Amino acid sequence: MNTSVLEVKQVQKIYGAKGESQSHALKGVTLNIQEGEFVGIMGPSGSGKTTLLNIISTLDRPSEGVIEIAGTDITKMNQNQLADFRSQRLGFIFQDFNLLENLTIYENIALPLSLQGIPSPQIREQVKRVAKTLGIEELLTKYPVQVSGGQKQRAAAARALVHEPAILLADEPTGALDSKNAKSLLAAMSDLNENHHVSILMVTHDAFSASYCQRILFIQDGSLYKEIHRTEDRSSFFKQILDVLAELGASQETD
Amino acid sequence: MLLKLSLSSMRKMLKDYLVLLIGLVISISVFYMFQTLALNSEFTKENSIISSIQLVFNVGAFLLAFITIFYIFYANSFLLSLRRKELGMYRVLGAKRGKISQILFLETLAMGILSLIVGSLVGIGLAGGIGSLLMDQLDISAEGYQPFYTPALLMTGEFFIVLFLITSTVNAVRLARATELDLIRSEQQHDRVKEIGVGTVLAAVFGLALVAVGYYALIHMKELLALGLLVGAVATTVGTYLLFIALLPAFMKLLKQNQKLNDQKLNAFTLAQLHFRVNNLTKVLATVAMLIALGVGAMAGGLAFQNNVALIANVARVYDVTLQDPALEDSEALKTMAVEEQLTYRYKIDDNAISYVKEDLLAHPPLISSNSMTEYRRDSQPIRVSAQLPAGISSTSGKDSEPIPEQWEQAIRNEFISSYSMLGDRQIQIVDQSTFAAMKGDEHTLLLAKVDDFLKYKPQLKAMQQRQIGLLSSSEEDGTLMTKYGMYESLYAFTSGTMFMGFFLGIAFLAMMASCLMFKILSGATRDRGRYQMLRKIGVRKSWLVGSIYKELFLVFIFPALMGLLHVWVGMKMFSVILLEPYVQLWIPTLIFALIYAVYYGITVQLYRGIVLSKEA
Repeated sequence: MNTSVLEVKQVQKIYGAKGESQSHALKGVTLNIQEGEFVGIMGPSGSGKTTLLNIISTLDRPSEGVIEIAGTDITKMNQNQLADFRSQRLGFIFQDFNLLENLTIYENIALPLSLQGIPSPQIREQVKRVAKTLGIEELLTKYPVQVSGGQKQRAAAARALVHEPAILLADEPTGALDSKNAKSLLAAMSDLNENHHVSILMVTHDAFSASYCQRILFIQDGSLYKEIHRTEDRSSFFKQILDVLAELGASQETD
Repeated sequence: MLLKLSLSSMRKMLKDYLVLLIGLVISISVFYMFQTLALNSEFTKENSIISSIQLVFNVGAFLLAFITIFYIFYANSFLLSLRRKELGMYRVLGAKRGKISQILFLETLAMGILSLIVGSLVGIGLAGGIGSLLMDQLDISAEGYQPFYTPALLMTGEFFIVLFLITSTVNAVRLARATELDLIRSEQQHDRVKEIGVGTVLAAVFGLALVAVGYYALIHMKELLALGLLVGAVATTVGTYLLFIALLPAFMKLLKQNQKLNDQKLNAFTLAQLHFRVNNLTKVLATVAMLIALGVGAMAGGLAFQNNVALIANVARVYDVTLQDPALEDSEALKTMAVEEQLTYRYKIDDNAISYVKEDLLAHPPLISSNSMTEYRRDSQPIRVSAQLPAGISSTSGKDSEPIPEQWEQAIRNEFISSYSMLGDRQIQIVDQSTFAAMKGDEHTLLLAKVDDFLKYKPQLKAMQQRQIGLLSSSEEDGTLMTKYGMYESLYAFTSGTMFMGFFLGIAFLAMMASCLMFKILSGATRDRGRYQMLRKIGVRKSWLVGSIYKELFLVFIFPALMGLLHVWVGMKMFSVILLEPYVQLWIPTLIFALIYAVYYGITVQLYRGIVLSKEA
C-alpha cells in the first residue's frame, strides 16, 4: 500500500496587502504525491510553479491551505522548526547548484549531517555511500570550482540525499547543464527513484527533462490545468508532454 | 538622468552608505585629534619629559597618515563594491563608460567632502571631550592644549582632499577598466585558497626568529640602548608580518584538517570562511596587531611614567610626612590619617649648622630607604638606623669632631631636611642634650610620620605642604619642598603631559585600527551573502548562522589582539631603562583596549549580519 509523502490541499498564495492591488499567484492548488513517485511540475513562466515549490520547500508560507509532508503539517511551524524540518526531511537541488565554493565537495555533502550532530565516522560512511551512488567518489577532496557543471549538480544531489530526506525537491536541476550532463543527471535521478525509492518532485519547463518523470502536473495562472501519467516508453511520453504544452500555448493565444 | 538614478539607488542603500560615512568620519576625526597634538609644539615641548618627543610625534604623524591612506582605500573599495553591479547594469543598458566613471568619481568625492566636514566637527568635539575627560579622570593638567586648533584643521583638510581626489580617480579608473560582465557578475567571483608550500614554512620560521630577536632587543634595552630600540622595532614589525602571512594560514589549515571538529554542526562552514578570510587579511591583521601594540603601548607608557612618580618619591623618602615645627592644623590633619609610625626630634638652626639631639635620635632611630634609583628592587623594605653615634659631637664638617656615621647622615639628609634652602651651606651636627641646651637660638621640632598609603591623603598632604612653605622665610621661598609630597607633586606635573599624550594617541590608534579591520571585513560581506542564503535554504537555523558569524569574527579579531598585547607586555620592558617599574598598572590600558575592541567587534558583527542575513517573513 502506498502512503502519501506530500499532500497539498487548497493552497492559495496572495501577494500584496489587503486593500492594495493583490496578485493571486496560487488559486487553490491541491495535489498529492505517493511515496516513491517521481513527479514533475510544468507550466509557463509566471504560472506559479516556483511559488508552489517555494511553499512546499517551506521557504515561503501559503496564504491559505494546508501542506503535509510525511504526515507533518508544515504550515503551523515556527521559523526554527521549519529550518530543522528542511534540514532533516527535505533535500534540495537548485538550478545554480548552490554549493558553497569555499568547502570541498565532501564538506558540502556532509553539511546536512553535521547540522544534525551526527558523529564524524558515521558522516564519512554516509557521504561515501551517497557519493558512490552518484558516481562522484573521486571528487570528494576537490573544491566546486575544480569540477564540471554536471559534477557540481551531482554533488548537489548527493548533498540533497545524504540525510535520506522524505522527498527530494528539484528546481530546474538541468537548467544550467549542457545536454550530455543533463541526460546523465536525469538518469541518475531515475536510478535513485527506481532503485533507491527516493520520492522526487521536480519543477521544470524543459519537456525532455520532464519525460523522465512518472507523472506530470501542469499549472497555469495559479491553478492545476492538467495531469498526465507515463504509461508507455519515454519517447512517447515526451511527445505527449509536447502536445499538452502546445495546448497550453494555444489556450494562451486565445486569451 | 543617470545622476538622478544613482542618487535614488544611493538612498536605497542608505544603511551601507551610513557605515561608510561613519568609518570615514572616525578616520578623519582621529587624524584631526592627532594633529591638534602634533602641530601644537608649544604644548608638546612644555609637557613632556623626553626632549625628543617631537620626533615621536613626527613618526606618529607619518604612521597615522600611512594607515589613513590604507584605510581610505579600503573604505573606497567598499563603496565601489556597493555600486559595481548597478553601474555595470547602466553600462550594459548603453550608458557611456566615461559618463559612468564620472558619476562614480563625483560620488566618491562628494562622500569624501561630506565626511571631511562632519569628521572635522566630530574631531573638534572629540578632542575637547577626550581632552577634558582625561584631565578630569586622570587628574592631570594639559595646559596649552587646544581642541580647536586652526593649523590642525588646515592640515586635516589638505591631507584628506588630496587623498579623496586620488581615491576618486582610482575608483573611476578601476570602474572604467572593468568589463560590463565583470561588473554585473562581481558577486560571483570565487575565493581561491592558496596552498601551503616550503616557502610558507620558511617564512613562518624566519618570522618566529625575527620576533624572538626583536623581543631579546627590547628586553635587553639597558645594555643595547639605541641599537636595541632600532633592532627591536624593525625585527618585531617584520617578524609580525611574516608570522601573520605564513603561520596563521598554516594554523587555520591544521584546524580544518581536524575531521572531528570539522564535522560538527556548522564548523566546516565557519572554518572555511575563517580560512579564506585569514588568507585574505594576513597583512591587515598584522597591521592591526602592530597598531594595537602602538596604541596600548602609548597608553601603558604614559601611565607608567605617571605611576612611577609615586615609586620614585617612595624610593627617595621613607616618611610620608615631614613637618618642621608642626602647627595645630597639622596634628589635626594627622589624626585623620592612619599613621603607622610617628617620630619627633628637636633641633636648633643657626647660620653655620643644624644641630640634632643625640639622645632623641638614639631613643627613636628613624627608618631609611634601602632602595636606590640605580639598583631598584621592588621588595626591598626600609631599614632602621642601627649605627652607634660617637661619644662627643659629630658633624659633617669633620673639624674638631668625629664624622657622622653614614646611615645617620642619610637619615638626616634624606628624611629630616625639608628644602634645599633649609640646609644651604650649613653643616649637620649631632650633639648631646647638655650641649644642645647651651646652644643659642630657638628650639625647633621635626615631625616625621609614615602612613598606610601616601596616595590616600593627597588633600591633607597638600594643605600641610602649603603651611610648611608659609613657614619658610621669604628669601628662601621657591615654592618647592623636598618632602615626599613635594617631590611627588612636581614630578607629577612634569609627567602628566606625557601621560595625556600617551592616552590620547593610544585611543586614537586603537580607534583607527579597529575601524580599519571592520571595513576590510565589511567590504567583502556582499560576496558572502549568497552562502548564507543557501545555508538558510537547506535548513540551517538562523541562530546557528548568527552564532557562526560571532565565532568566525571573534577568531579574526582575537589573533591580532593577542599578538599586539604580547608585543606590549614584552615591549614595556624597554622602559626599564628610564622607569623603576614599567609594568605598573598595565591592566588599565589593557582593559581600555579590550573595551574599545569589544565594541568594534560587536558593531562589526551586527553590520556584517545585516549585510549577509536578509530579513525574513
